[in-house]
Amino acid sequence: MVAIIDYGMGNVASMEKALRFLKIESKITRDHSIIDESDAIILPGVGSFEQGMENLKNLQLIDLLNDQILNKKKKFLGVCLGMQLVMEKGFEPNECKGLGWIKGEVVKMTPENLSIPHLGWNNIEIKKDQVLFNDIESLDYYFIHSYKVVPENKESIVATVDYGQEITASMRFENIFTTQFHPEKSQDSGLKLLKNYLG
Amino acid sequence: MLKVRVIPILTFNGFGLVKTKQFGNPRMVGNPTQAAKVYNSRGVDELVFLDIFASSQNRKINLSLVKKVMDECFMPVSIGGGIKSIEDINDLLKIGADKVIIKSKALTNIDFIKEAVHYFGSQCISISVDAYKKKETYYIKHSNSYLIKLEDFIESMNDCQVGELLVNSIDQDGMMNGFDIELINRVDSLTTIPVVAIGGGGDLNHFKELFLQTKIKAVGAASIFHFTQYTPLDIKKTLLEINIPVRI
Repeated sequence: MVAIIDYGMGNVASMEKALRFLKIESKITRDHSIIDESDAIILPGVGSFEQGMENLKNLQLIDLLNDQILNKKKKFLGVCLGMQLVMEKGFEPNECKGLGWIKGEVVKMTPENLSIPHLGWNNIEIKKDQVLFNDIESLDYYFIHSYKVVPENKESIVATVDYGQEITASMRFENIFTTQFHPEKSQDSGLKLLKNYLG
Repeated sequence: MLKVRVIPILTFNGFGLVKTKQFGNPRMVGNPTQAAKVYNSRGVDELVFLDIFASSQNRKINLSLVKKVMDECFMPVSIGGGIKSIEDINDLLKIGADKVIIKSKALTNIDFIKEAVHYFGSQCISISVDAYKKKETYYIKHSNSYLIKLEDFIESMNDCQVGELLVNSIDQDGMMNGFDIELINRVDSLTTIPVVAIGGGGDLNHFKELFLQTKIKAVGAASIFHFTQYTPLDIKKTLLEINIPVRI
């Protein structure tokens, strides 16, 4: 069973719907015992970094998630804000500590002559772990974000996207896999990626 | 490279799909869940779903119907109609909306928009900018008697840091004789927020004109899909011919 963490940061229903479509059992939950029983954990979410961390803290999920991911080494997927929160530090809207599972920061994007947020379908360029993208025809994925993840170690970057500059689109470090784009909103290309990773 | 988005706009009256002309004369055009199913199977870039009478009839959007529509969609969906509170936004996000679209409340309570952006993040809050032209000046349509200039409204939305502006030309709505390119360029010059151009797309050439004469990255349309044989894919193929990047 996949636990989809419900921490009041939106968009959990779409992830559940995508997994149901793929016939992967999942539960939207903030219940510690259900999360503990899960085989894999998804941290979805949209919204501000600071609010996200505050909500995780208020639900006493930080220690639990640290234990599940860092000690028990459960398979983890972080999407959008869920990718950003695994970093050490964010700045949205104020400087704030993150989960710190991957070294690096989340900073405001400042592309010249381009709109913010980075909003819409954009093609990614795969750097490693090609196997996750097996059988996927189109590498256009749906993005919607104003901040970008800058990992210290570029080795963790799975894919990048071009938006005025090269931006981290996906990372993997041990049992942690993350996407800045929304696989649950990216039709076939997204559903297949979820299946390849979780199925 | 970021692709241009072609977005079907589904306007409904609480239960059925309707299409207006210049924001009047709503005509029934079908069933919302059926339409969502068709658009999902066609792999459209995004859907916009608007209850255009919720605010004026002072009622909430029909959540069970919206949920049925959402169940058919594996693409991003923006939903609007009668949003008055943080709780209203939460209700829509809980059933899978990616963005909410606010109009009436943005005209009467800027602080609410700021609060919504702070709580949910910019990317979640889209604003519907319904503009008409009178003696070379654009104004925002609303139910009160005073005039709101387009420039002033866009400036206040910049200040709120909303995530997207859906710019509707009321003069062109449902007329199918081309976009109000002057309006779109005027808004685009006033903001760095992404703009969706809506109102007037009636044949494939109108979409070419729009992207050749503006720098925006998204277009919304309704009548062309209800009343002609063209699909979103036909529009995208047309844009590809003139080297506008699209997702096929």
